[in-house]
Amino acid sequence: MATMGNNNINAKLVLLGDMGAGKSSLVLRFVKGQFLEFQESTIGAAFFSQTLAVNDATVKFEIWDTAGQERYHSLAPMYYRGAAAAIIVYDITSTDSFARAKKWVLELQKQGNPNMVTALAGNKADLEDKRKVTAEEARAYAEENDLFFMETSAKTAINVNDIFYEIARKLPRAQPAQNPTGMVLADRQAERTRTSACCS
Amino acid sequence: MQEADLHDLSDDPDYAASQQQALGRSLYRSDSAKSTEMDSGGGGGSETVYVKDNVAIHPTQYASERISGRLLLVKRDSSLFMTWIPYKLSVGGTDSTGRSSNAGILEKDRKLYTIKDVPLADVHSIRRHTPTLGWQYIIVVLSSGLAFPPLYFYNGGVREFLATLKQHVFIVRSADDANVFLANDFQDPLQKSLSSLELPRVVSVANGATLHGSVGALSSVENSERRNGDMQIATSSSEYSGRNKHKLHDPARDISIQVLEKFSLVTKFARETTSHLFRENHNNDSSIHERKQLDHKPSSASTDTQKISSAPVAPDPLEFDKLPLIWGKQRQQPLDVKEWVCFLDAEGRITDSKALRKRIFYGGVEHSIRKEVWKFLLGYHPYDSTYAEREYLASVKKSEYEIIKSQWQSISPAQARRFTKFRERKGLIEKDVVRTDRSISFYDGDDNPNVAVLHDILLTYSFYNFDLGYCQGMSDLLSPIFYVMEDESESFWCFVELMERLGPNFNRDQSGMHSQLFALLKLVELLDTPLHNYFSKTECLNYFFCFRWLLIQFKREFEYEEVMRLWEVLWTHYLSEHLHLYICVAILKRYRQKIMGEEMDFDTLLKFINELSGRIRLGDILRDAEALCVCAGENGDACIPPGTPPSLPLETASLYPQQDQDDI
Repeated sequence: MATMGNNNINAKLVLLGDMGAGKSSLVLRFVKGQFLEFQESTIGAAFFSQTLAVNDATVKFEIWDTAGQERYHSLAPMYYRGAAAAIIVYDITSTDSFARAKKWVLELQKQGNPNMVTALAGNKADLEDKRKVTAEEARAYAEENDLFFMETSAKTAINVNDIFYEIARKLPRAQPAQNPTGMVLADRQAERTRTSACCS
Repeated sequence: MQEADLHDLSDDPDYAASQQQALGRSLYRSDSAKSTEMDSGGGGGSETVYVKDNVAIHPTQYASERISGRLLLVKRDSSLFMTWIPYKLSVGGTDSTGRSSNAGILEKDRKLYTIKDVPLADVHSIRRHTPTLGWQYIIVVLSSGLAFPPLYFYNGGVREFLATLKQHVFIVRSADDANVFLANDFQDPLQKSLSSLELPRVVSVANGATLHGSVGALSSVENSERRNGDMQIATSSSEYSGRNKHKLHDPARDISIQVLEKFSLVTKFARETTSHLFRENHNNDSSIHERKQLDHKPSSASTDTQKISSAPVAPDPLEFDKLPLIWGKQRQQPLDVKEWVCFLDAEGRITDSKALRKRIFYGGVEHSIRKEVWKFLLGYHPYDSTYAEREYLASVKKSEYEIIKSQWQSISPAQARRFTKFRERKGLIEKDVVRTDRSISFYDGDDNPNVAVLHDILLTYSFYNFDLGYCQGMSDLLSPIFYVMEDESESFWCFVELMERLGPNFNRDQSGMHSQLFALLKLVELLDTPLHNYFSKTECLNYFFCFRWLLIQFKREFEYEEVMRLWEVLWTHYLSEHLHLYICVAILKRYRQKIMGEEMDFDTLLKFINELSGRIRLGDILRDAEALCVCAGENGDACIPPGTPPSLPLETASLYPQQDQDDI
């Protein structure tokens, strides 16, 4: 959950998606500014943190990067449980990975925190000539499901920081610090009021 | 403190076993008069206040291998006792959901988990988990720091259970965590004082008190001290071996015995440390590093027993950690070709495989002869085979490999279009081989033919073992094998042998991983109780932070050359088939002060463990692991459920139980 003390928010974020979609590459680009052509597969899970400044608040992302293969699916709830945000990643050159992304969306809708900020990332956007999933199709799906959508490229860094920044902006700000249950979020109106208050 | 009564309920299917247990326990009871009276009382005055069926434990933390049973709360002489008894296998052999009990769970395993008449006065806390997903469960933690495995309430009812408890014992919700209920009997002064000292540091004393809690009420600190003194006697070496004998016959483990054994383990550590140091001293080939330890060790070792048993104030268990851990044997030079040929007879047989395995255990193998030696270690070549037989085997196996390989090679593009599983499986392998060890020159560069060979071997394996298929991590396991063998067919068959043991790591239900993680939990509990307590407190007992270590045998934790060294040592199975688990314990022990000192939570711990990659000193860790393995002895073995990888599977009927999912 996102918890806030003063203007500092800690937010747990989980990356989900098909294997080879580029989850680890997105994190590595965001956290270290690096890209490896042959990023090794993630075994189990990896954990990173990175802080972003949004307006006058700082958001510290605690990022869980998971193994993509279906066989490790049973481990995922451990990582998305209690997450304030999720990025569901697919590979624009693979329709299978897009189908898998939809499954993740469904699962999070069923099992996840209803206030989770969920982003859909169409990764490998630099591989335009191999594209199999159109941006329109993905955007339409995202809108239907109340996700926000961006096409990203960990390789060229396009939209990578942006997607994290956008999540940071959308995170609810209205929670009291150290709220141990952390599940009750204020409605949007209250959120906006308080956000503007703390930014003024 | 309440009287621990040893009665078994009339419907207890494990009556005989519990009798034996009771016998074991009575060894440590001083006021036997009371217990005799109760024993002969034939259950008079006891009242079952709560019964819940279909409460299960998951020995491998997986539902498919659950052991279902009945949970009871029994009131006797105004004291409350908790009991959980697994259902008898023969009674239908099924649980409530109609699933047949897993035949892999042996009767003795079931008994291992039986909870017998645990006085609620010994319970420190009960943590409830009522997830929205999955079953509700509770974890009962004793004052000693021991925690029972989670009890899953398959029919729900955790609230009812806690409500019943509340009627009979004083429990309060923890201020720190709304899901933790602290059980405190404030009528008992000692219990009260213990519960006010809720620090992990007091575990040793709490242990002592718990042990004797069943003996009778302790009313003063002096009393407590005296009884701790008693314990010192109980942990002498003769008692130790006596208990072991008992346990061989009855693997069901009485809690108090277990606690006692842990104490004796510490003293045993101390003793062996000292004697080892003497040995090292006489051999005088110890390193400077070790000499440095000599200055500290004997003194701290000799005071250990006293510290545990007689200190009126809780000794700090971290003290033990100040003993430098290294006391495994000095590592040797790798086995070289000159020495290797000495193990072979004229026709190429290895006459003394044990001596060979021992030699490799302590030093590994020079790279030039790995190609030859690994085939024995992996079981591809029998030790008693001759040169001629091995040559013949290679040619037979080569054609066999080609046949299996041709099965997928012959799939035409048209056929592949109608064969989703094949396409997907091939896709997974293609995605993974291009990102496996590309920094090693053997695999680097564009269109490296060795990468193509990895692909072919893995795809062929996924046809050879279609049920298991391909799973992430397999390419990591194959890479060093092909690097050493440099031959496609030979690598394939060596990989097949390795997967005979490690295949369950990749089971869909994660059963192989869970049995290892569970064993690791038990081993840490045995070998480092404070760390276990810390993990318990921070909800890290799932040990998922060690997942990568176990899944691919530390492949990502060491440099390539070290991985090969480590693997050949593990494959000797010289001290234990499960040395890798002791390696986990050894690494955790090395960093325990940091882990506990910085109060790492699960997230931080996982990050920390992942970042240890490349920073662990293999030689030291191997020596630590050796020492831990030797010291744990059969207590260590008892922590590891039968069939835990890399043991060969218990049964061969269905190695990889399949549930048809969209997984491939």
